[in-house]
Amino acid sequence: MPSASDTRRAPAPAQDAAAGPPRGPLSTGNVVRGAAFLVAAALILLFPALAPNPFILFSGVIVASYACTATAWNFMGGFTGYISLGHAAFFGLGAYATGLLTGDLDWPPFVAWFVAGLIVVVLCVPVGIAALRVRGASFVIVSIAFVLILLLVAQAWADLTGGSNGLVVPRPFPDLSRPEHHRAFYFLFVALLAVMLLVWWAIDRSRFGAGLKAIREDEDKAQALGVPTRDYKLVAYLVSAFFTALAGGMYALWFGDLDPIFQFSILLGSYMVLMALLGGVRHLFGPLLGAVIVGSALEFFKLEFGDTQLHLVAAAVLLGIVVLFMPDGIIPAARDLARRFGPQGTSIREMTAAELLERNRAAAARTQADADAPQSKEDRP
Amino acid sequence: MSGSLLFQSLVLGVLLGGLYALLAAGLTLYFGVMRVVMIAHSAFLILAAYLAWYFNKETGLDPLLSLVVTVPLFFAAGVVMQRLLITRLRPATLTMMSVLLTFAIALFIEGMLGFVFTGTQRRINLSYSGSDIEFFGAQIAVVKLVAFGLAAVSLALLYVLLKKSRFGQALRATIQHPQAAQLVGVRTDRVAGLGFGIGLATAAVGGTALSLDATIYPSLHWHWVGPLMAIIVVGGLGSIPGTAIAAMVLGIGQSLLQVELGTTWAQTLFYIALFVTLMVRPQGFFGGRLAQRF
Repeated sequence: MPSASDTRRAPAPAQDAAAGPPRGPLSTGNVVRGAAFLVAAALILLFPALAPNPFILFSGVIVASYACTATAWNFMGGFTGYISLGHAAFFGLGAYATGLLTGDLDWPPFVAWFVAGLIVVVLCVPVGIAALRVRGASFVIVSIAFVLILLLVAQAWADLTGGSNGLVVPRPFPDLSRPEHHRAFYFLFVALLAVMLLVWWAIDRSRFGAGLKAIREDEDKAQALGVPTRDYKLVAYLVSAFFTALAGGMYALWFGDLDPIFQFSILLGSYMVLMALLGGVRHLFGPLLGAVIVGSALEFFKLEFGDTQLHLVAAAVLLGIVVLFMPDGIIPAARDLARRFGPQGTSIREMTAAELLERNRAAAARTQADADAPQSKEDRP
Repeated sequence: MSGSLLFQSLVLGVLLGGLYALLAAGLTLYFGVMRVVMIAHSAFLILAAYLAWYFNKETGLDPLLSLVVTVPLFFAAGVVMQRLLITRLRPATLTMMSVLLTFAIALFIEGMLGFVFTGTQRRINLSYSGSDIEFFGAQIAVVKLVAFGLAAVSLALLYVLLKKSRFGQALRATIQHPQAAQLVGVRTDRVAGLGFGIGLATAAVGGTALSLDATIYPSLHWHWVGPLMAIIVVGGLGSIPGTAIAAMVLGIGQSLLQVELGTTWAQTLFYIALFVTLMVRPQGFFGGRLAQRF
């Protein structure tokens, strides 16, 4: 017997305007989303062919590397809500490890690259255990301190890292011309990004991801409910560190010259945060979107104000605006806007109990009729 | 290491620790009144140093006189910053987002300094720059002594203000228990704004003291962020005596290590202290996290 409170059982009929668009695999929302995804993917893949000159291509590689770092940051920041300003530490460690393995030990470039990522993970286990003992402000302080200490060490330990003179990393494809080299690395960065997005998507749907998001919402309650918060946080931290290190290693192979000031830079770590926050940390493509916007903006600022320090001011204003006015990012803001102009969904409160009962009855009668119809056909002699 | 060298570095360490204590006291105040981690503190420090240098260059007067302008200016900037920017953040994410917001402010200051004064390294030349005082066999630069005196006077003023005045009572109440303070009629939002202003005023004093003896450039503030953050974590976030002790201990430690290891490696002491603190006593060694006393 359907009742007014029985809202779940009533399947919304397609012709009922109040129920909004139908929800299924082929709903308009999904079609739009799929089309947008295909267009974006095609644009990303066609970019090197469309780029009018090598400089734009070069900027494209930088933006792709930003997208990789911001997405890698989001494994930690997006899932657990722990904001790390120090992910540049992993970036720099990955870059230097790759550079040292290929340069000093003559390893094949991409083997060195992957092993460098693993080395960074091993190095980060004790750091992660120490850093994750604290929350909130102290965690941010520790993350900043980690970058600063590595910057000091990289500058002081000149025998190993070359100090401020820089470390030259051998190019993995010595035969390629410069634009071809950029093109190859553009696709390598995009492939790395695709792997990261896939892993993020998988974690987002897993039990592990649910635990991490529980930590983000309320760590104490998550712990009380039996989520192994310390282990989960550490794993998320290490996954994030691994992918950031891979992005750094890729950068080392591409750029070919490492300097401590640029590899272990708080600025780079803050750009990752800015990109992820701007796009939306709770969304798969948020950091990517943020990286495209912020990365292009930064490249533009550097081109325009490269000689002065005004590009710092521009980045600062951008960060301030994001933090003050849209801490959830562009994607939720845009979605709210679309909802305001799109078809209005009806909430239960806008329907009286009598109307709801009437609708449930009609729906139940219709399903009953549907169920009866074929049966009576078969019963017919 | 000879005995006199040891004594010399010990004295220098105490002088350095005094300056650190003043600078970290400001950070502790922000954290106390608003739970805000103020990354921009050291950027304001460099800004004050630049203003002192500019004042000296334009007028030829002693840079200490610039304090007459910078202290009220920074105090007002602190109040405005707290009332206009920090309070806009959502309470749930205040701590994290305040880091990003103050980081943006720090970048803004660095960029503007670079734009206005260029990246050239600057230094103030004073009549007493080169002079030393002999103190039980140790040579102490007069500028370091002046900087320490400035820090000591400001810290003493801060202490008196917090302990003796009615405003200090309200401020301490706000730090200890904001809701209870509101219940007895303290306007905590106003008090927090003024507390923020006082914190920034200490940056004005500290920056001027720094300018006497340091070569300054726009990105110098990154060298200060780490040590100052390490001091407040080791001292226990929010505890001013803890901060002062930690500043003194780490300042002396850095000064002693500097002789053996050189400046760069001695700096790592701060980070090692930071990590050890987190591993052993995350609430800080001296005074608890948000210690109840001053």
